[in-house]
Amino acid sequence: MTEMIKLFVNGEEVEVESGKNLIDALEKVGIEIPHFCYHPALGADGNCRMCLVGIEDGRPPVVPACKTLAKEGMKVLLDADNIKKIQHDVMELEFINHPTDCPICDQAGECKLQDYYMKYEGTESRMWVPQVTKRKMQDFGGGVIHDQERCVACGRCVRFLRQITRTGELGLVNRGDDCRVEFFPGRPINNRYGLNVVDLCPVGALTSADFRFKQRAWFLKRAESICHGCSKGCNIMVDHNKEKYEDDIIYRLRPRQNEQVNGWFMCDEGRMTYKLENDNRLEECTLAGAVRPLADIFADAERRIERATKVLFLVSPSASLEQLAAVQALAEKTGATVSAFSDGYIVKDDGDDFLIKDDKAANRAGVDLLGIAKSRTHFDNMAKEADVFINFGNDLSRSLSEEQIGRLFSDTWVLNGATHPGQLGAVMEKKVGSSIALRSWSEYHGVVVNCDGIAQKFVGGVMKNVERPDIVEMAAGLGSPATGTAAAWALVQKKIPALAEFGGFLELPAEGVKLTDNEAGK
Amino acid sequence: MTNLDIIMVIVRVSISAFVPLCFLAVCVTMERRVAGFIQDRSGPNRAGICGIRAGGLVQNLADGLKLAFKEDIISEHVEHKFLYVLAPIISMAAAIISFALVPFADTLVLDGKSYVMQGIPWDTGILWFLAITGFSVYGIILAGWSSTNKYSLLGALRSASQVISYEIPMGLAVISLLIVYGSINLSDIARFQGQTWLGFIPMWGILLQPLAAVIFIVAAFAECNRTPFDLAEGESELVAGFHLEYSAMKFAVFFMGEYVAMFASSAVIVTLFFGGYNIPFFDTDFLIRNIKPVAFVLLVILPVFMFYFAKWIRRNNRSQYLRENDPRKAEATIYIRCFWILIAIIEVFLLAILAFAQPDTAAAHLLVALMQICTFLIKVTLMLFVYVWVRWTIPRFRYDQLQMLGWQKLLPLALLNIFVTGAIVVALG
Amino acid sequence: MAAKVKQLPSRGGTPAEKVYLIEIFKGMAITLKHFLRNLWDNSNLYVRHYPEVQPDIPARWRGRHRLLTHPDGTPKCVACFMCQTNCPADCIMIKAGTRIDGVTEKMPVSFTIDLAECIYCGYCVEACPEDAIRMDTGIYAFTSSNREEMKIGMTEMLSLKGGFPEEEYQKGLEGE
Ligand code: SF4
Ligand code: SF4
Ligand code: SF4
Ligand code: SF4
Ligand code: FES
Repeated sequence: MTEMIKLFVNGEEVEVESGKNLIDALEKVGIEIPHFCYHPALGADGNCRMCLVGIEDGRPPVVPACKTLAKEGMKVLLDADNIKKIQHDVMELEFINHPTDCPICDQAGECKLQDYYMKYEGTESRMWVPQVTKRKMQDFGGGVIHDQERCVACGRCVRFLRQITRTGELGLVNRGDDCRVEFFPGRPINNRYGLNVVDLCPVGALTSADFRFKQRAWFLKRAESICHGCSKGCNIMVDHNKEKYEDDIIYRLRPRQNEQVNGWFMCDEGRMTYKLENDNRLEECTLAGAVRPLADIFADAERRIERATKVLFLVSPSASLEQLAAVQALAEKTGATVSAFSDGYIVKDDGDDFLIKDDKAANRAGVDLLGIAKSRTHFDNMAKEADVFINFGNDLSRSLSEEQIGRLFSDTWVLNGATHPGQLGAVMEKKVGSSIALRSWSEYHGVVVNCDGIAQKFVGGVMKNVERPDIVEMAAGLGSPATGTAAAWALVQKKIPALAEFGGFLELPAEGVKLTDNEAGK
Repeated sequence: MTNLDIIMVIVRVSISAFVPLCFLAVCVTMERRVAGFIQDRSGPNRAGICGIRAGGLVQNLADGLKLAFKEDIISEHVEHKFLYVLAPIISMAAAIISFALVPFADTLVLDGKSYVMQGIPWDTGILWFLAITGFSVYGIILAGWSSTNKYSLLGALRSASQVISYEIPMGLAVISLLIVYGSINLSDIARFQGQTWLGFIPMWGILLQPLAAVIFIVAAFAECNRTPFDLAEGESELVAGFHLEYSAMKFAVFFMGEYVAMFASSAVIVTLFFGGYNIPFFDTDFLIRNIKPVAFVLLVILPVFMFYFAKWIRRNNRSQYLRENDPRKAEATIYIRCFWILIAIIEVFLLAILAFAQPDTAAAHLLVALMQICTFLIKVTLMLFVYVWVRWTIPRFRYDQLQMLGWQKLLPLALLNIFVTGAIVVALG
Repeated sequence: MAAKVKQLPSRGGTPAEKVYLIEIFKGMAITLKHFLRNLWDNSNLYVRHYPEVQPDIPARWRGRHRLLTHPDGTPKCVACFMCQTNCPADCIMIKAGTRIDGVTEKMPVSFTIDLAECIYCGYCVEACPEDAIRMDTGIYAFTSSNREEMKIGMTEMLSLKGGFPEEEYQKGLEGE
């Protein structure tokens, strides 16, 4: 527990955590101090002066909140006239050369300049000299587009590239109203985290070429999710929207703060995984090549499982704990074998020491926790014996070539549950007995365990027009005793005692639960 | 039975069955155009066949066609499909047969045989009417209940209780009339009203029994579910009440049933209170005896009437805005010609009578019967106009007001009326 | 502006009024008067003989929408979605894209209004920061036999012309 101290804001006593600057300390208790250049991950720079607050009986009487540690008994003034005037004047200064492009600016709706204008300024411009014009729509590389006119020269982007990625592509050049952000000639942004500057920029000076003009920020619905791009499990916000007469699609992924996992950031590849969720999805469920209702497919498969001598289930290492447990329960009931063979999900030497990991499976730790075998030999042996093979969303084409898959299952009846076409290889997919289009991670809720053994919940907000089952429902359809996510969660809790104290998975804390090595079964 | 008997049966039945149906067109047109005129607008005046709009009649034709060709929907949730279909038929059938016992002319004497001029020559008279109109509410109740819709059911409930509360004052009003007329036979009642008082005041029911007339007319409005008593379909709170779930022809049958019932009750009101088929001041015998002067007067009056009628058509059948070669003027000319031809035919007929007919012959009897039928229909039309007129003047009652009026006002008044009438009749011996 | 208040005496208390019938007859006399007047001569009806006689549309009338262009013919709209955001009927459907005619950065790729759903409130016109959309075409009647045709697209809206002189339109705005 951090130590608490007492201080006064506008004469009222509040209790805050010690060891933090005023902006962070007061934000925790719901008091906002306007600021542009300070960012918790980048530290205080003190260049924007928007955060100036008064300290009663202090020396000096006005200080930047970002650089001032909260101290016991401090008397902070936020609504004094001089402070209000400072805020108003700083805003007016920012707006002198600001183009006020809001109608065509992607930041509108989540722009600090807009918000603060409404809150702290709200007056008309007194400018009568022509505004300074600068370059617009400048390609910064890495999918980042810069608008020099909108920049408030807070330096967040520059500091990010210097302190976090240590690539330092950007710099602030010149001073006064010619001050602007530039990349060094011939060396545009080129690193795997470059798009984070778009989130960091408090205004619309940096926008993402990928998201540009696709949606206005206020139309987007938000879902708190976990990136399924690799085993790091970065916390993200899924921004999606269903336009009239169209499907619910994701427009962008943004990082969400979680000190234990990803801090404030995520990698660029992870950001782009939303495209997989939108495009080229499996739409139909088929039985012997013909589109059939799900119930028929389930009934047929159930009959085959009963008659089969040996059944093999293959689960995805990215499936949630609930889904894994549901498939396990089904296997126990039918005497089938479960494998999570997924060697191909590991990309050697791809990871780095920041966020990106070699292992591209979101829940491999969960697979281990539940004791599901995943070795190649186990899978090969079982596959040879099996006469019914059911795939629960595993992208086997990553691990094995088309021929290998074809050889393994040459005389096996196959039910392929998949999110995308091609997960068993194009050739094999033509031969499968049935196929079921599954929901993907942005469309269901669940819990996954990341590479550091942190169990994290995620919420699926996307509601596609095409109704698809998720793996829990698919397992239930095939006769699993876990008939729903709640039942499956109960099974998970039995297997992983550390999770037993949480009623539903939604009660997991936002920052996740760190499972000890002991619980992780190591 | 002679051939003449058979012909007369056919004639009487068809008059009493088809006249109400033909009057549908009159009722609907009147409803719309009178509503229009009362509200200073024009009502339907656009639909036409080759420019002939017949004062809005063509609109009815179009609406009828529309209803006939509409998809006839029976909603899934309707459980009792047979009763659901039966309901409008009951309404309509009851409305038509309730007119069967109303005389539309005096007893016709042909070849020494007399024929009662009503659909069914029974003596039950006014009781028949009371019985059958009471029956027609079954249609509404069935419709409301079988629609499986709460609005419909509420409408039906209202209608049922309304009919119960208003049938009683209506029946009581009739009792006081019967004391005066001394018969329940409508032909007798009509003939009674053919007499005059002091030689110039017709002995009409409205003068003999003003209170009973008011009560009966008010109750008749309620029986017909007409405004201000149309709570069964009160669209502001019940959407459309009992016929909410009905569409196309089934709805049309309800709709027609309502107008036929209106016609029948107008006919009964006319018969009870406004002298029935009697031409004021001239009773049947007088007319038959003086057939030649009567024919002569008609011969003169008709062209004069037509002259002014033509003027009226010319004045009103034109476009009210700048228009070259106004086709409506041509249309008016066509109407006027048609009417003149009609008048000419009638004139020839009257001339023949003037030239050849003797008093008290079959021709004289027929002419008088025709005149009486016309008189009767004119009176009924005027009564129908009153129905329409009231509808576009008075707003709908609230439900409690409706019941209050029925039980607390009309019922005591009707009872009082019976005692007073009884006392007077006894006193006068 | 102060509202004009006219106090009417409350009616219905006197015995004569309580009998209803007298009052009803009074009412019926009034309606009969109207009826007879119009029956006698129907030129007194308070009706407009539409469609032969067309109504006069004032400049502030909210008719069919149009999209305005700069003098050089490029659309004024910058696809800011203010109109779509404000539309209470949710009947504006815009797709935005990068501008290709060099005026600013953003423009609509498609701009559709479903006139069957529109309630002609004019909020879109008020919301537009660019004066790019107006409802001043003076077109007030549009019919179609299917729903698809009630959706009008960008090309059509760009090609429509205003139905009133500019000064008259601006004067109409001042009144608001
Ligand atoms: S940066 Fe903010 S204030 Fe500036 S144009 Fe963009 S949204 Fe508007
Ligand atoms: S581009 Fe954005 S983050 Fe970078 S200095 Fe300008 S305002 Fe700050
Ligand atoms: S007029 Fe109103 S309803 Fe119609 S498009 Fe504009 S904002 Fe939407
Ligand atoms: S508000 Fe105006 S500029 Fe913005 S999208 Fe609508 S029409 Fe275009
Ligand atoms: S946030 Fe403190 S000076 Fe910018």
